Amino acid sequence: MDAVEKANAERQKRWAKDQKIGEGTYAVVYRGREASTGRKVAIKKIKVGQFKDGLDMSAIREVKYLRELHHQNVIELLDVFSSKTNLNLVLEFLDSDLEIIIKDRSLVFLPADIKSWMAMTFRGLEFCHRNFVLHRDLKPNNLLIASDGQLKLADFGLARDFADPGYKMTCQVITRWYRPPELLFGSRYYSTAVDIWSVGCIFAELMLRTPYLPGETDMDQLKTIFRALGTPSEEDWPGHTKLPDYVPVGHFPRTPLRDLFTAASGDTLNLLSKCLVYEPRRRISAKEALHHAYFTSLPYPTHPSKLPKPPSQHTSSSRPLEEVDGNVDLSGTGPGVKAASSNANKLKRKLSSPIDDLRPLARRLDFGLGGKKP
Amino acid sequence: MSNRANNAGGWLKGKTVRKGGMSSTNAHTTRSSTPQVQSTSSTVFGGGVKDASGRTSEYFSMDDQCPVCKSDRYLNPKLRLLVSSCYHKMCESCIDRLFTLGPAPCPICQKVLRKLAFTPQTFEDLTVEKEVAVRRRIAKEFNKRREDFPDLRLYNDYLEEVEDITFNLINEIDIPETEARIEAHRRENAALIELNVRRDEQYAQALREQEEQERSEREQRALEARREDEIEREEKEKGRREIIDRLETSTKDAAKVIAKSRAEANKRTSARSAATTVFKSNAQLLRSRAAQSTTIPDVPHVPLQDDWYAYEDMYTLRDRYDDMYSEAVRQDREGIMRAGGYQVEEAWERAVRSAVTALYLPPLSGVSNTPPDTTSLPSDSMLVDSV
Repeated sequence: MDAVEKANAERQKRWAKDQKIGEGTYAVVYRGREASTGRKVAIKKIKVGQFKDGLDMSAIREVKYLRELHHQNVIELLDVFSSKTNLNLVLEFLDSDLEIIIKDRSLVFLPADIKSWMAMTFRGLEFCHRNFVLHRDLKPNNLLIASDGQLKLADFGLARDFADPGYKMTCQVITRWYRPPELLFGSRYYSTAVDIWSVGCIFAELMLRTPYLPGETDMDQLKTIFRALGTPSEEDWPGHTKLPDYVPVGHFPRTPLRDLFTAASGDTLNLLSKCLVYEPRRRISAKEALHHAYFTSLPYPTHPSKLPKPPSQHTSSSRPLEEVDGNVDLSGTGPGVKAASSNANKLKRKLSSPIDDLRPLARRLDFGLGGKKP
Repeated sequence: MSNRANNAGGWLKGKTVRKGGMSSTNAHTTRSSTPQVQSTSSTVFGGGVKDASGRTSEYFSMDDQCPVCKSDRYLNPKLRLLVSSCYHKMCESCIDRLFTLGPAPCPICQKVLRKLAFTPQTFEDLTVEKEVAVRRRIAKEFNKRREDFPDLRLYNDYLEEVEDITFNLINEIDIPETEARIEAHRRENAALIELNVRRDEQYAQALREQEEQERSEREQRALEARREDEIEREEKEKGRREIIDRLETSTKDAAKVIAKSRAEANKRTSARSAATTVFKSNAQLLRSRAAQSTTIPDVPHVPLQDDWYAYEDMYTLRDRYDDMYSEAVRQDREGIMRAGGYQVEEAWERAVRSAVTALYLPPLSGVSNTPPDTTSLPSDSMLVDSV
């Protein structure tokens, strides 16, 4: 046994694997413990043998970036070791994620709660961006919630560092509903602004309690975006017609955000609109967002320990790490139940008020003209 | 307008004010509310002041007398006095007589009136009637809110101005000038007025919806409770029958059999009550959140919670760099990189920051294990200006 193997064996001994809690395309997740302290961890075992060309790309990315990033609002990679032919990542164990919380209708969100989650998201994202890492897959189920209420960015399987000038990046990243228009138009040169768009969508989803821009296909996604925010003009977004996959999608008028977010404050809508600016270079940065008046105005953000949490521990622990499947699902329609279009209008207004529950959840919003009738 | 009392005869002295009063000695003179008002005119007079339930109650007195034709309740039991837009009263037959053929001057003050401008009287004192009408009109136009003003002082000034205008209108002081002020305000704030009207409507709508929802929840809970009672009753009945059956068939001690059955029944009820879902209203959920919030205080937002040193004091970024790497971005004629949001500045910053990172870290020596003290470094002595 050489020195490397010895070191690996030593590391492996530090962690004890318990039962399996989830499985994805390229990894299996186990609940585990640190042998010496009993501290709960999640062990992600990456299946190596399956891939002809070696280790899966997302595993490499995840290890590469998580080894470097240590922040209160980024999931912590505790250790990496190999067993037989498998690679094991030891991650912090987190109870639930923002998607579970958004879907739990028995929880009531106060404006201060949303502010607190947004602040933590922006802090984690600002940390990635200042370290020149793009996350490229932000969505509620990649924002995990620790038992003390801290929100942590997870799933760095699609992350990469900023490109050098003139280098192309792939535009097939970010789950569709949270994908910004420049990626849908096939831009190969982009920046931190792509993550900000995703955060904007999450922000809106926290208020609506349903996905804000649920497109069914990539084309439909563009249409959904334009229906909600208006088709951009050359002035709104100079040069977008020159992007590789540009197609005219039709003209939709710009409707004020106030129509949908009736209960939101002016600061809230101002920040939201700055996250959802069409021209990427004019979109707010994570750092600017943290200094926005929305965060400093009253009410103060809720202390993380008091944020709403799903009540039962055993239901959430069955899927603590939703980032098992690191790949973006590019073909499926995504999770969701479609509500009949007849009651979509009714639900649209209902869902925008923070006080409702016990109501069948509509997973789609109707931005069509029919939806505007009171 | 206080001298109008003289013109109006003895109406101010009317003693019996009956609004929906049931103590009427004379059943057919009772005018409780608009639908039952006895009227001699074929014209339906609208307007008047509505109460919370949307009905108009009319002022009525036994001493009513029409100031125009001097007819009173004794002569005409169906006498109904209406108020003109100049706040003079007259009876329906006078109105029909004077105004059926078109606009005509008021017999008291000579102001030209139309028949449909007469409204039922709600208050005994006509100045109150007038004030309500004026305030209602002003509130429609002057509907700014506290949040439309940058500070409290301006808002107070605004409220004072509104009160001024209202006072002038009620007491008929400088009417033309006041009207001009209202007109000016309307012109300047048209958009805001419109917005606030819509806000009010939305608020009213939200209130209605909330009420509706709470009502349906209450019904739901009541239904649930009834169902539970039903089940419990059945269960008890069944238990009693079971005990009798067992006593019949069993050879054991009667007291023991009863105790056993009782225990079983208790277990069943407790299991059921645990299983029933507890419906909590939104208000209750919010209240529990509020109670919780007293335990740990929320603190103001701090933009960045870590003190992260990014070597900002060690470099200054230029507006542009002419290096061969960013040549590609400069050659981006069609602006594709620009439109996609690529920021070459970020690449520059990264390069410059990487260049200065850890410049002043002391070399590793096997002797010292303490972390290097960054504060003692001469941070301002050298500003790297990378090209």
